[in-house]
Amino acid sequence: MAEVSKGIAEKWGLVVDQDRCTGCNACVVACSMENNVPFTGEDNVAFGRGTYWIYNKRMWEGTYPEVAPAFQPVMCQQCGSAPCEPVCPTFAAVHSEEEQINLQIYNRCIGTRYCANNCPYHARQFNFEDPNIPEPMNSYLNPDVTVRRRGVMEKCTFCVQRIVAGRQTASAEDRPLRDGEVTPACVAACPSDALVFGDLSDPNSRVSQMAQNERQYKLMDELGTRPKVTYLKGGGRNGG
Amino acid sequence: MKHKKPWWKQPGIQIGAVLVAFIVIGGIIGGIFLTQTPPEQPIAFPHNRHVGIGASCLYCHAGATLGPSAGLPGIEKCWGCHQQVQKQSPELTKLAGYVERNEPIPWVPVAIQPEFVRFKHSPHVNAGLQCSACHGDLAKMTVAEAQKGQNMGWCLQCHKSSAPEQWTKLSDCATCHY
Amino acid sequence: MSDKITRRNFLKIAGAGAAISAVLTGCGPMSRYIVRRPYTEMPEYNQTGLNTYYASTCRECAAGCGIIVRTKEGRAITIEGNPQHPLNRGRLCARGITAQQGLYNPDRVFGPIFQARGDTSRQARTTWDEVIPVVSDALKSPASQIAFLLGTAPDHLFDLVAEWARSNGAPAPLRYSALASFEGRSTLQEAANRTFGKPALPFFDLANAEVVFSFGANFLETWLSPVSYSSAYGDMRQARPTRRGYLVAFEARQSLTAGNADEWIPIKPGSEGLVALALARLIAEARGDDVPAAARSIDPATVAETAGIEPAKLTELARLFAASEHSLAIPGGGAICQHEGLATAQAILQLNVQVNNLGVPGGVYLTNTEQPTTSLAEVYNLVQKMNNSQVKVLFIHSANPVFELPKVLGFEEALAKVPLVISFATFPDETAMLSDYVLPDHSPLESFGYQRMLAAADRPVYSSIQPVVAPLYDTRSTADVLLAAAAAAGSPLPYTDEVDFIQQMIVPLISAGGFYTAPEIQTFWSRWLQYGGWWVTEQGLDTDISAAPSRSAAFSGPIALEEDKQFHLVVFPTQLGDGAGANRPWLQEMPDPMTTLTWNTWVEINPETADRLGIHDDDVVRVTTPYGALEASVYRYPAIRPDTIAIPFGQGHTALGRWAEGRGANPAALLPAAVNESGDLAYNDVVASIALTGKRRPLARVESREGVYGEH
Repeated sequence: MAEVSKGIAEKWGLVVDQDRCTGCNACVVACSMENNVPFTGEDNVAFGRGTYWIYNKRMWEGTYPEVAPAFQPVMCQQCGSAPCEPVCPTFAAVHSEEEQINLQIYNRCIGTRYCANNCPYHARQFNFEDPNIPEPMNSYLNPDVTVRRRGVMEKCTFCVQRIVAGRQTASAEDRPLRDGEVTPACVAACPSDALVFGDLSDPNSRVSQMAQNERQYKLMDELGTRPKVTYLKGGGRNGG
Repeated sequence: MKHKKPWWKQPGIQIGAVLVAFIVIGGIIGGIFLTQTPPEQPIAFPHNRHVGIGASCLYCHAGATLGPSAGLPGIEKCWGCHQQVQKQSPELTKLAGYVERNEPIPWVPVAIQPEFVRFKHSPHVNAGLQCSACHGDLAKMTVAEAQKGQNMGWCLQCHKSSAPEQWTKLSDCATCHY
Repeated sequence: MSDKITRRNFLKIAGAGAAISAVLTGCGPMSRYIVRRPYTEMPEYNQTGLNTYYASTCRECAAGCGIIVRTKEGRAITIEGNPQHPLNRGRLCARGITAQQGLYNPDRVFGPIFQARGDTSRQARTTWDEVIPVVSDALKSPASQIAFLLGTAPDHLFDLVAEWARSNGAPAPLRYSALASFEGRSTLQEAANRTFGKPALPFFDLANAEVVFSFGANFLETWLSPVSYSSAYGDMRQARPTRRGYLVAFEARQSLTAGNADEWIPIKPGSEGLVALALARLIAEARGDDVPAAARSIDPATVAETAGIEPAKLTELARLFAASEHSLAIPGGGAICQHEGLATAQAILQLNVQVNNLGVPGGVYLTNTEQPTTSLAEVYNLVQKMNNSQVKVLFIHSANPVFELPKVLGFEEALAKVPLVISFATFPDETAMLSDYVLPDHSPLESFGYQRMLAAADRPVYSSIQPVVAPLYDTRSTADVLLAAAAAAGSPLPYTDEVDFIQQMIVPLISAGGFYTAPEIQTFWSRWLQYGGWWVTEQGLDTDISAAPSRSAAFSGPIALEEDKQFHLVVFPTQLGDGAGANRPWLQEMPDPMTTLTWNTWVEINPETADRLGIHDDDVVRVTTPYGALEASVYRYPAIRPDTIAIPFGQGHTALGRWAEGRGANPAALLPAAVNESGDLAYNDVVASIALTGKRRPLARVESREGVYGEH
């Protein structure tokens, strides 16, 4: 793993403060509305085919009456050394050198699902059906994001459409991007301010500062995936 | 033992081959017609005449500097000039008809990208690119014509040659696909 | 011809077909099949391909969060919180985020309909010109026999109707939704009145509190104003460098709020008042104060036993509460919605008085004294009047009483005795189906308006509502319909239309010291729309609060149950709100935070109890109360008392469109008609029994993959 030891370039990062997170799932819905994630219906969810780019992992800890859920919002961790990338036969799962995130190129994807099988975070979602959004409900679909068809893998992109738009706006105004100028939909929605997004390559950005917090940990860091998402442990919750 | 014709002399095969040939040739002709000739427009807009009198592209396609879409002029923009500058022509009569009915002109876009490509005009225009670099010389066209070979290799070639120092950004998949 | 040749031929033709498709689709864009119609007149503020943002107010519940809607080419794309709005400060919950699914819902009412009470042979589309005289004739009925039933939010429509009712001697319009009943708004207000001498909803400064005791208030999910309380919760946890806030929740079924609490104390439903008094005594002892009169006769050890918890735990919590700087006790939800709910709410509010946490940061404040909702008791009076044929005309707007009200109340039967029922529903809901006319209002994202009082705002706020898209269908603003009809009926109001009414109502705000002003109304109006409302920059809460001495109350305690035969029943609202959210597919698809269940109704039962009764996950059980019964699948929920079962509210629609209909069961069938002293539904006292039906229906859960490729 010589590549890993060279160190991973840092760019966009997300901090999830589990002590603030209430598990309300506003992020799930905000993400779906921004990224044209289709609703799949009761049967598909029961089959495990529901599509959630970000989902709230609810883990029970303890036994009655000292039982409490620990909530952990899990989305694509945008690994610096991503397990999904080398297994894609069509190079649809590729690494963005510019933004330092993992991409899913929908028009390349042929739906082998190797990437999803290799992802330790269950972050990748497969379209088992074409989206079924009857007229006129398709009017709210976001024109900045491709509507995926059946047979295509998809996942959280850190709202790359907002990153690119922010970058292009800043460049048109001839200035650098400001901290907090780009916010993914989940971060914008979060009612308890548990999610913070920003540039990790800037040591003064809010996200860099928060990622230094003593409560920080990375999800399954031992796998060497180098995630760009940092979790901050919940304070008083049982084991959280 | 009965002599059997070689397979290429079997009538079924021959008929089939002719059929296939027709289909292939028809497909090619149809494909060329559908993709390589400009589509019919509701008004045969003479780009050459407008460019010839010195009208800037941005006068009608004002969105090109501002955002993703260059935009198409509405009837108010056409009529702004043409209610004064009027010559009798069948095309202008059509325009007058749209204005009278207050109906949008149903233009057929020519230079469009597939839905999985996020092309934006403004970064390209702001980088100093001329419209003609992609859309051809409109001074020589009446209705807009699709330019040939506008595929990803063509995009990347330009990205590479015009700004090699930004190659990381300009070759990044996320720049155009999301 | 041999098989071999056919196959070969087939392969050739297939190959040619593939080549042709490649030519047709691969070599050039399918441009000629697309047509673009540019604006005939491009609006100044709009540019093709660029976003246009509008500030408005979320209408998905009565909280009234400010929203910013991103539109493109006249379509509403995404909704986010308004960062300047003092209530939600840029944040939003799942309900607000999915509001476009209401706007663009294919099951909306497309225009005025003569509904004929569901008699399909007489149903017909009608026109606004034909129905305005109908409304106008209705308004000419004897004023005392006209009734208006509106939603909970104190909005411009309520003000307009109230003004018309006042000037014509009609009864004041009622404002009701099931959510207000589950929250216990009326009880909270009355408890504040009796405790602090002012009938106002209390504002709990969660963000600055150090120790918070919540009694049934699920403020992270649905209670009063979940977004502002969630935001305050985050700050309580992490915003202060000094001390991390500590949250303790007392309730029988662990809600999302209790799940996030540091300690969840599963007390029996009905024992909240006793626990509050026991805490009062222990807190006074810990602080060295006089024990309040009401708590003197209370023995904490007995109370702990009655409530089903450890006595030592009660003492420990009381010491924690007494020793901290800002200790806050919040009454809400089921704790105060029981027959002794008012006294319970008072006892809980008194805990704040004991630690002098009134009118200071981290404490209890009072908001304005306007009635936050109509109590259920007043809705009962209306039903009574309907049954006695004292109501000739009933107007219903943004309420769905046939679905929301307890079935034993008999609203549906009473509705049949009203000669004329006019619904202004946007969706064909259960009540609209049974009305004479459905005169659809615009969807909230197509309307003008304002909302006055925000239950959890810390300052005076008017939140503005403006259309973000042009109306999609032949709908008409209810305010305009009423104004036109009132004019035709000879009882006109002095407003030309809805916008004129709103402008006249906000004129006093110009000089009321908000964060902006303007020389005249038109300039003020444009800023009002631009900022999404009007508010003051400084926190404006009443800090001068004094408390009356605690009232002595004798609590009867929880109802005795026959073990494993009878259960306390907890009915709780979810992200579907009062049930109106059930037609938003993404709210259905969004997993319930605690159970991760989607798209259905379930019955929560403690796994230990379930084991004893031989009940497995996904078994369909029949839940029976003295008032009715329903069937639903079981979810074995580890965080619920073994003597309690719980059912979510909001599903079980028989109307409301494709995503809501025929899905789950409506627990309104299980609820009593009983109200507490302050008129809120006493839903926490219900005792239910359950029985296996032998059927099994798997629930769609996100948490495990048990159903994958399996039997569902």
